[in-house]
Amino acid sequence: MAAAVVERTWRDSTPEGVEDDLAALWRDVAGSGPSIARAVMANLVVFRFRERRNRPGGERRNGTDEGIEALIGLHPSRTIVIEHERGDHAEQAPTSAGVGISVFGSAATRYGVERIVVRSACADVSLLSIVRRFLRGDRPTSVWWTEDLSRDVLSDALVDLGRQLIYDSRDWHDVRSGFDVVAPLAASHRIDVADMNWRRLDPVRRALAHAVDGLQPATSPRLSVRHRPGEAALGWLLAGWLAARLDPPQTAWPAIEESAAADDVLTLVIDHGATRVTTRLTEDRVHVSRDGMAPIIVPSPREQPAEAMAAELRTLSRDTALADALAAIGRRGVES
Amino acid sequence: MTSATLVEQLAAGDSRTPQTDPVTIVIFGGAGDLAHRKLLPALYNLHLDGLLPPRLAIVGVGRGDLNDDQYRDFAKDGISQFSRRTIDDSVWQTFAPALFFVSASIDDDHGLAKVGARLDTVEHERDLPGNRIYYLAVPPSLFGTTVRQLQRGRFVARQQSADDRPFARLIVEKPIGRDLDSARAINDALAAVFDERQIYRIDHYLGKETVQNILVMRFANSIFEPLFNQKYVDHVQITVAEAEGVGTRAGYYEQAGALRDMVQNHLLQLLALVSTEPPRSLDADVVRENKLQVLLSLRPIAGDAVDANVVRGQYAEGFDLGKRVAGYRAEKGVAPQSGTETFVALQVFIDNWRWAGVPFFLRTGKRLPKRASEISVHLKAVPPILFNAHPSGRLDPNVLSIRIQPDEGFALGISSKIPGPKVQIYPVQMDFRYGSTFGGTSPEAYERLLLDVMTGDQTLFMRRDQVEAAWRWVMPILDRWAASSDALPTYAAGSWGPAAADTLIESTGRQWRPL
Repeated sequence: MAAAVVERTWRDSTPEGVEDDLAALWRDVAGSGPSIARAVMANLVVFRFRERRNRPGGERRNGTDEGIEALIGLHPSRTIVIEHERGDHAEQAPTSAGVGISVFGSAATRYGVERIVVRSACADVSLLSIVRRFLRGDRPTSVWWTEDLSRDVLSDALVDLGRQLIYDSRDWHDVRSGFDVVAPLAASHRIDVADMNWRRLDPVRRALAHAVDGLQPATSPRLSVRHRPGEAALGWLLAGWLAARLDPPQTAWPAIEESAAADDVLTLVIDHGATRVTTRLTEDRVHVSRDGMAPIIVPSPREQPAEAMAAELRTLSRDTALADALAAIGRRGVES
Repeated sequence: MTSATLVEQLAAGDSRTPQTDPVTIVIFGGAGDLAHRKLLPALYNLHLDGLLPPRLAIVGVGRGDLNDDQYRDFAKDGISQFSRRTIDDSVWQTFAPALFFVSASIDDDHGLAKVGARLDTVEHERDLPGNRIYYLAVPPSLFGTTVRQLQRGRFVARQQSADDRPFARLIVEKPIGRDLDSARAINDALAAVFDERQIYRIDHYLGKETVQNILVMRFANSIFEPLFNQKYVDHVQITVAEAEGVGTRAGYYEQAGALRDMVQNHLLQLLALVSTEPPRSLDADVVRENKLQVLLSLRPIAGDAVDANVVRGQYAEGFDLGKRVAGYRAEKGVAPQSGTETFVALQVFIDNWRWAGVPFFLRTGKRLPKRASEISVHLKAVPPILFNAHPSGRLDPNVLSIRIQPDEGFALGISSKIPGPKVQIYPVQMDFRYGSTFGGTSPEAYERLLLDVMTGDQTLFMRRDQVEAAWRWVMPILDRWAASSDALPTYAAGSWGPAAADTLIESTGRQWRPL
């Protein structure tokens, strides 16, 4: 459960005055109550377009101030929000900045997390000089790309700064373009990728591993994935993972189709000789049925978006299953 | 049995307040930038803390046409702008009367006489016994002339012991020379007038709180010192990064460059402090002798080894906080074809028992992404078994980082289990910050150093043999560069230096620690 904010401070600043203003805020906060710890487990660079700041984000609240605050309560990170102004800007200095501290915890365990917001119309090349200035280099750095990677050009500069790129392929309007961006990244080892959408396949993957127990791998299975509208990325991720894991890989590539009539998020059917294994992912569970066996039901984790993201931020090792799935998608190419 | 003076009797047992004799501080270059930004604000803060002797005069000497009142205005302006604490009018009223100015050039006899007469008058009026501290806030080229004139004017009595009174002490700023020969020449000139125990060569880095804390951390805690050796330390990094360009210092910097300006003094002093053997006492000469031993143990870098172990670079056009900034050669006062390095990275070895085989990576430069100075001691990784067994998730080795500026403090990176059912490990920091632990702002380096001169403590000042040992070590590098016709590599302003600096460390299987 996300930690609740008990106090907030904020002040407008300038890019040059960020550190001094933060220091002043810390003095204010320290003087306003019981002792407080400055919590910095990591750096979190959040990229969002300016209009996103207060935009209602629905349940996920991607990149909104509220969403960021929920996250940093769980994974205290020096948060550097690049609030980008859309448009074809030449190299320009940041237009303004602001700093804030969000305070969490009880009186006995107060901790504060600092946030820096830089409003920028900078070109990609100059963005780097802003973010580098504010990073705490001794902490792991994650880049949270809150925008649609399939539509908005990912900043190369930010990719080179972080150890981890977090995005959500549910946001993609164009699945092919999205995978065109992330598949090469995952293959290049420039940065670890973490797709929040991919987490939803965790229970599917676990359930399937049990459901296929006893089936021989020698026979090439026939696979099909059906997903409901808006879940194409999830369908492709599942297909990519299966293709990467089953042998020989390319013969295991499932047929993928979208079905407006589907109730489930997605359905995977594996015809393995005379055996059929059907896996259905709904909003709250995975249901696997296999001829002649009792069904397997695995609940989807009940985690808030902030909890899911905090879990990703805490994972420092490369997610090889996701990387392999993306590599398989990259090799095959997404069909329109 | 000798009987103590009344002053000694009253001061007996009082270890809380540094004992400072009444003194006259004479600042040559008293109306200059250093006095304005650093020295006068530092003296004001010492006064604010009650650390200056109650009987005191501060006499600025310079060519400017100022009277005492104007000099007080000059001082007040500097304090208002640059003091770490805001100026307090009631405190200022007690500080200002101690300030005086003599408009004179000491390099002629008339000026010398004028300064002498004024000092005599001020000391007589303020009942000062003639203890003097001469601060040479002037270019090094004037050091020799100034001290010769001080001798000529009989301002200086050579001190036979530390207890001689009245005392005369001399403070000089870096650079002490631009090579070994010129350093020796300056030191010879100083030694012709002052005894070594009267000379205080300032390296302001040594006055910084965190730097002073290095010895405390190492030798006042049992946890660290047993680890500080080749058995446990994989390597050490020392970074002194500046975000600013050459600014208004092009005239000096063109003749110096990063190796002379930063490595020969600041970085080698930091290296000596972090690697020195435990001194047998805190006596100034014992500590300084130990540091000298480190400098003498540095493996020489000469000839081809320079190319393999030293990387230089010069900043080109780039960005600072999103703003485009000029390259070095386009800066005011810089030659269009300048070959001056603004960045240096080195791999250094200390050939002694403690540090055998442990590389020390040093880097410094201008127009880097941020202002940050840090020493980081990288301990060896745990074996690749148990928690460190998975190739895709190697554990970060423990790193002890000592932040010198900004955000002074130190941190120890350790691996910790994330709460939860799985064994998932995350690098966390045990972080100590001066600002949040002790509150308030730390004294500026110059405050500590000026106070040390007043109390006669030379621990934080460079001794002649240290300075010359450092020059002796850097000379082969300078000579190699002077003989080289290779193009100077460049790096974009706002980056962490030329690519070759990354190659230097990555070729050893390590990486620069991000700052």
